[in-house]
Amino acid sequence: MNTTVTQDMSFLHLISSASLLVQLVMLILVMISLLSWWYIFRKLFVIRYEIKKTDEFEDIFWRGADMNALYQRTINSRYESGSLERIFAAGFSEFNKHPAGSDLEAVMESTRRAMRATYQREMDYLESHLSFLATVGSVSPYIGLLGTVWGIMNSFRSLSSVTQATIAHVAPGIAEALIATAMGLFAAIPAVVAYNRYASRTDQLATRFESFMEELSNVLQRRAAG
Amino acid sequence: MNASIIRNSPHSEPKSALAGALAVFVHLFFVALLVFGLNWKDHPPEGMIVDIWTELPKPIQEPVKSQPQPKQSVPVQEPVKPKIEPQPPKPEPPKPVPQKAIAEPPVKKPDIAVKQKPEPVKEPPPDLQEQKKKEQEKVKEQERLKELEKQKELEKKKELEKKQELEKQKELEKQKELEKQKELQKQKEKEQAAQRQREQEAKAQREAEAKRAAQQAAARNQITNEISKYKAMILAKIRSRIVMPPDLPGNPVVEFSVTLLPGGDILDVRLSRSSGYVAFDSAVERAIFLSKPLPLPPDPALFNEFRNLNITVHYRE
Repeated sequence: MNTTVTQDMSFLHLISSASLLVQLVMLILVMISLLSWWYIFRKLFVIRYEIKKTDEFEDIFWRGADMNALYQRTINSRYESGSLERIFAAGFSEFNKHPAGSDLEAVMESTRRAMRATYQREMDYLESHLSFLATVGSVSPYIGLLGTVWGIMNSFRSLSSVTQATIAHVAPGIAEALIATAMGLFAAIPAVVAYNRYASRTDQLATRFESFMEELSNVLQRRAAG
Repeated sequence: MNASIIRNSPHSEPKSALAGALAVFVHLFFVALLVFGLNWKDHPPEGMIVDIWTELPKPIQEPVKSQPQPKQSVPVQEPVKPKIEPQPPKPEPPKPVPQKAIAEPPVKKPDIAVKQKPEPVKEPPPDLQEQKKKEQEKVKEQERLKELEKQKELEKKKELEKKQELEKQKELEKQKELEKQKELQKQKEKEQAAQRQREQEAKAQREAEAKRAAQQAAARNQITNEISKYKAMILAKIRSRIVMPPDLPGNPVVEFSVTLLPGGDILDVRLSRSSGYVAFDSAVERAIFLSKPLPLPPDPALFNEFRNLNITVHYRE
């Protein structure tokens, strides 16, 4: 979409002279590329924000802040809260729901389940659209290849009616067909890079959440026992 | 309750609008790279243009320009010169020839005059002096003789006789000399006349030669024009039947020597200079055979010019 607006006349000519299917493929690839780049930047900001929030919360929590105050703060700023805060809030509220004197094993079990549920949801949130990036990375080269093959097929088919075939007859068709491949690769390469990077980042966050969950359940268990 | 509050409150995703703007920016950057980084050829040159071969009139004009030139140039240059020469010579020869006539005779005449004049001038005076002296001598002798007549009448008579004989001899000598001079003069006059005649003859010959040369040149011109016309027609016919192999680099030239039969049939085609591209050579050879009755001039006398043809074909005009 944006490509056609700022294009040079010759480049525009190359694309506009392509066959309908190639143009369709190019349109799809441009949309996919735009969407994938949008997700790439969104995930970049989300994961960065998440890591920053996790660092902050762990820093505050292990400095020995009051759990009730932390919980209240998380509830008050619940739209800006990080995943780790949410996990803490879910576990702490579940722990507090049980009346004093109930079975410690059962209380800890339900607390862990609540934290696990929140953890699953948060991981789902963090990993959302990552699968889209993976799909773009693996499929868009094939889409581009389809457009290219179709374009080259057309240019060779038009060559059959010419008695004296020269490379000049085929070259423009192949060039405009290869634009589709270029677009596909342009969409695929950053998508693959971003997917791998974000997947490893979310994995790191997941291990941090899991270890925090274990540590929090230990802290709560000591607090219930003590 | 509190937990459900958190569960139902979705994440406020940070900077999602900025992410969209950045995505658009990345694409604009990529398009700018494509447009300005790559030098896209708008319309690549369309290889071969078939019009050259499909249209017959063009090759007729073009071969005349390109190929027959070497063939024409030899005969054409020759006639052109005579053409130019005969025209000026006609006005000029009268001028140079009189000039020569004026210039040459004076040069020769002095020679003759010098020879003529000194001879009579030098020869007669000594003769006259001698005559005078002799006469004086004779007078003296006569006086002496008159004095001695009495003494030596016989001797005088003898001497007179001798003197008379001598005088006669001298007179005879003078007459001979005069005759010789006259003869010399006559000879010289004859020589001059002969020279004039020769000069006139030479002039006449030159003029005649010039006229002949002009006529011959005109005739040759007509012949060469016709020959070149038919050669161009032959070339055009061959050219129209060449199926050019595509995409040869440069402008290869192929030369064939073709032997013709009267009537335009081809007896023999030999490759005299290959272009280096077998496809091009064979295409031209095929075209020569395909254009079989080659156009020949109706005048059978001109056929000798076409018996052995050298056909040069350029890949590009």
